[in-house]
Amino acid sequence: MADSHSLLDTIVAQATPPGVGAVALIRLSGPRAPEIASELANDDEGPASAWPERRCRLRSLYRPGSDEVLDRALITLFRAPRSYTGEDLVEISTHGGVSIPATVVDACVALGARKAWPGEFTQRAYLNGKLDLTQAEAVGDLVAAGSPKQRAVALHQLERGLGERIAHLRGEVIGLSALLVQHIDFPEEDDAPTSIETIASRGERVACEMDRLLATAPAGELLRHGAITVLAGRPNSGKSSLFNALVGTERAIVTEEAGTTRDAIEAVVSIAGFPFRLVDTAGLRNSGSRVERMGIEIAYRYLASADVVLYCRETGGPAGVDETDFLQSLSCPVVKVFTKWDLATEGGVAGNGELPVSVVSGEGLSELKETLRDLVFQGVVEGRDEVPVVTSGRQAGLLMQARTEVGQFGEALARGIPPEVASAHLKTAESALEEILGVVATDDVLDRVFRDFCIGK
Amino acid sequence: MSGLRLRYDVVVVGGGHAGAEAAAASARLGARTVLVTPDLTRIGQMSCNPAIGGVAKGTVAREVDALGGVMGRATDAASIQFRMLNRSKGPAVWGPRSQCDRALYPIAVRRILDELDNLDLFQEMVTGLHFEGRAKGVETRGGITIEADAVVVTAGTFLRGKIHVGGTAALGAGRAGEGPSIALAEALEAQGLEIARFKTGTPPRIDGRSVDYAKCVRQDGDSGPFRFSYYAREPFLDQRPCWITWAGEALKTIVNSNLARSALYGGEISGQGPRYCPSIEDKVKRFPDAPRHQVFLEPEGLETTELYVNGLSTSLPPDVQIDFLRSIPGLEEVKMTKPGYAIEYDYFPPDQLRHTLALREVPGLYFAGQINGTTGYEEAAGQGLVAGANAALAVQGRDPLVVERDQGYIGVLIDDLVTKGVDEPYRLFTSRAEFRLLLRQDNGPTRLGKLARSVGLLTSEQQRALGERLVQEARTMVWFRDHALAPAKANKVLGAVGSTPVQRPVRAGELLKRPGVTAGALLRAVGSEAPTVDLDVLATVETDVKYEGYVRRELDRAARLRAQAGFAIPEDAPYGEFKTLSFEARQKLARIRPANLAQASRVPGVSPADLQNLVMEVKRRMGETVSRETRASSSC
Repeated sequence: MADSHSLLDTIVAQATPPGVGAVALIRLSGPRAPEIASELANDDEGPASAWPERRCRLRSLYRPGSDEVLDRALITLFRAPRSYTGEDLVEISTHGGVSIPATVVDACVALGARKAWPGEFTQRAYLNGKLDLTQAEAVGDLVAAGSPKQRAVALHQLERGLGERIAHLRGEVIGLSALLVQHIDFPEEDDAPTSIETIASRGERVACEMDRLLATAPAGELLRHGAITVLAGRPNSGKSSLFNALVGTERAIVTEEAGTTRDAIEAVVSIAGFPFRLVDTAGLRNSGSRVERMGIEIAYRYLASADVVLYCRETGGPAGVDETDFLQSLSCPVVKVFTKWDLATEGGVAGNGELPVSVVSGEGLSELKETLRDLVFQGVVEGRDEVPVVTSGRQAGLLMQARTEVGQFGEALARGIPPEVASAHLKTAESALEEILGVVATDDVLDRVFRDFCIGK
Repeated sequence: MSGLRLRYDVVVVGGGHAGAEAAAASARLGARTVLVTPDLTRIGQMSCNPAIGGVAKGTVAREVDALGGVMGRATDAASIQFRMLNRSKGPAVWGPRSQCDRALYPIAVRRILDELDNLDLFQEMVTGLHFEGRAKGVETRGGITIEADAVVVTAGTFLRGKIHVGGTAALGAGRAGEGPSIALAEALEAQGLEIARFKTGTPPRIDGRSVDYAKCVRQDGDSGPFRFSYYAREPFLDQRPCWITWAGEALKTIVNSNLARSALYGGEISGQGPRYCPSIEDKVKRFPDAPRHQVFLEPEGLETTELYVNGLSTSLPPDVQIDFLRSIPGLEEVKMTKPGYAIEYDYFPPDQLRHTLALREVPGLYFAGQINGTTGYEEAAGQGLVAGANAALAVQGRDPLVVERDQGYIGVLIDDLVTKGVDEPYRLFTSRAEFRLLLRQDNGPTRLGKLARSVGLLTSEQQRALGERLVQEARTMVWFRDHALAPAKANKVLGAVGSTPVQRPVRAGELLKRPGVTAGALLRAVGSEAPTVDLDVLATVETDVKYEGYVRRELDRAARLRAQAGFAIPEDAPYGEFKTLSFEARQKLARIRPANLAQASRVPGVSPADLQNLVMEVKRRMGETVSRETRASSSC
């Protein structure tokens, strides 16, 4: 368990909030940071040790061991002790979105870095005398302050029971180990050893339970980072007004102004108590023939990660072929909004599944919010009494590790690896679950054996 | 008062399994050593069951041998039945065990001790500790002073030992028929050491001539030859069988209706007993649904008809013992030769020790064996060897001997004792080791041989045997890696285990990785071209090659642990001021005073978050950052 906390590791994490954003910042800190960065960039300009310090360099990043370009990125090297953490530190600015930064982080891991734990960069800064403890705590407060109350409540509600569920899984893994230990450490007892088939099927059951829990991770992600809500529509279809109306009536958590490198404006808002990351494509209004050709304003890079699309059409406006094609191409839920309802001619009628909204009169706004909440979060929040939600990437990562190990345990048994050897996987799975719980290892396996079996020659 | 004063480098108090190893190791290292015990004829006495070894414990007995100790040889010299436990499983968890002749074992121990130049034996009861700012020797009942620069106490269950047979008045005793050590317990207590109490028990002994063997199941030993010792070749003795029978409802009824007369259940005994070695009272009470309980009848020796009734440890009165024995099939007419009893004794919570087994608060004083809250001959022997060696090394001003957790069960044992303490008599299990695949009974010399040689624990003869063993192992490894078997030969082996045949020559190591294929089968298939290989080496190579991926996994984890152990924590760290740590962690760490981060991580009550904060606190106190060299060298 404790091995994953070595201070001698090189750690990596995305420093900017995950999700939408034009640019993402990835930090790599520790003794091997320059080396990993230079391997990642496949740099032919000499070893990282020869790099100039504190200078941005534009480089292609490659998938380790292949020619595949992951992204073009800006790389900056900060040498110890003149860095945030006081260690050798590399900052990599990649394009934003969900997949590119994650791929680059994974590549760093493949090259020998370890994913950082929450707060670990700050902790190292503290360790190396860059911050004092109060400063370090203030950093933590700042990071936590982004969370609206409703979200915190929802998270808490959903996380409730997660600890017990993980503890239960750990108990199951320990139970499996105990069956093997009873078999290994007390070979002369009367109780016949549990058959490998029984052990294997119990292992499968544990794996299934882990899968069910892991399946909640996307929901947890949604809650933690907000549902990506893309506003799309023809120019002048009222997207920006709707964006402003949604942002304005609710407390805006983060507002990013359109900048030179941005192709969209985004804001995290709390709608009906749940976090939504609104993305307005207004920044595209005057740029690019692509959009004009399509007649629909949309930043395509957001579509892949969108949780919901708000498609805006002026009330009474015609639905063109391009619109039908566009809507059919989407894989996420769509809310069709008839904007400017106040300007509609007397007797304007919204069709099936279309919501009339007027940002002037406020008509339809609350229906829209409810629709959004129900569409995105209903399934997440309701029916969760039984299965708690994995809400953080750290939990999900460790649970996935435990799941993988339990799976490998079963595969090893099937390959004829004897249980006393294959049980190494159970030990690792147990450690990963303990890592989630922060539990201190004890002689639980032996406790289980002594409780369940009458031992003693 | 006698004026006799003796002068040694190291004095060892006690002649059990810990004492014998401590004295031998100290003497082997060249320290002038004396072993003092009340009865020289009982050195190496087996106070409980007449067997050495078992799962994990057998590996310890062999580790003691790999480190030049006594136990492996003595066991070979007294073995009257050998079995490899877990033989049906992979060699990774094999557990060698020998039934030993209770009379011959101490004779063998004494013979081995007598070979040592620097060791004297002295018969006396130690009653006091000679203390001048540090332990400087001992005083005896007869007023003799033995001066020494280090004192190793291995008093077993003798410190204020109290025997219970049924609800009658308890009898002061260290073992049946021998008096307790009360003065020594008081002398140690006067040093400010913390004392606690444990209990354990033994079963009755019976006369084998009164057993109806037709109603028992005979259990013979393994047919193949086996030696615990890697280095020495003691001759084999005649072999004897064990017998198994089962106690059923009749025994349960007798035990249940007499529970009030049990010292354990009648409230006379307060100490904590071992869960893995429960009394028959415990078994009946805690597992009322178990239809029957196994009873092993173990031979006490070649020249005696006595049998040890394993599985029926008890503190019920003798009349009840006879009754329940006679309720067991095969024992209807049995004659009891010695009643079973429970014993309570003082131990010193072992988290007062350093990894050298020296007391943190009393310089020059070392503890080993049951006095540290362990059970088992093997656990005692392993500690004795480490304590004795460290006493001698300290006197000589040399670096201490520490067996790491990835090097041996001895390392696991001592680290567990020192960093976690005990809450019941401690016994080793494979599940206590995080590197079970590395710590095997076959590879003791590979793990510990070089360490033993470099410290100076091996005789020139043992060093030669070690060298041969290591060379043979390396050669065999190369043979499996490089030697390809022709399809005809390979397929003979593969066919026997239902594995897909091969078309082209395939290397032995590759074939070995297939399920069911053994190293021995491959060597036999090759015939005369095959290298000659000892059974131990074969097991070593088989596991290391067959489960290479898993072995590597453990090696990687061991390397990470060692990197963590590289982060030293000062012994005087002001834990009370480490406010970022939980209260519990501060308390526990202040008591245990771990020497490095790896040890701290094993202290119960210290969470991963505490560990991170501990590092921060220590680094800030030290006012230093990790040097670039350190970081670069351990980026594994």
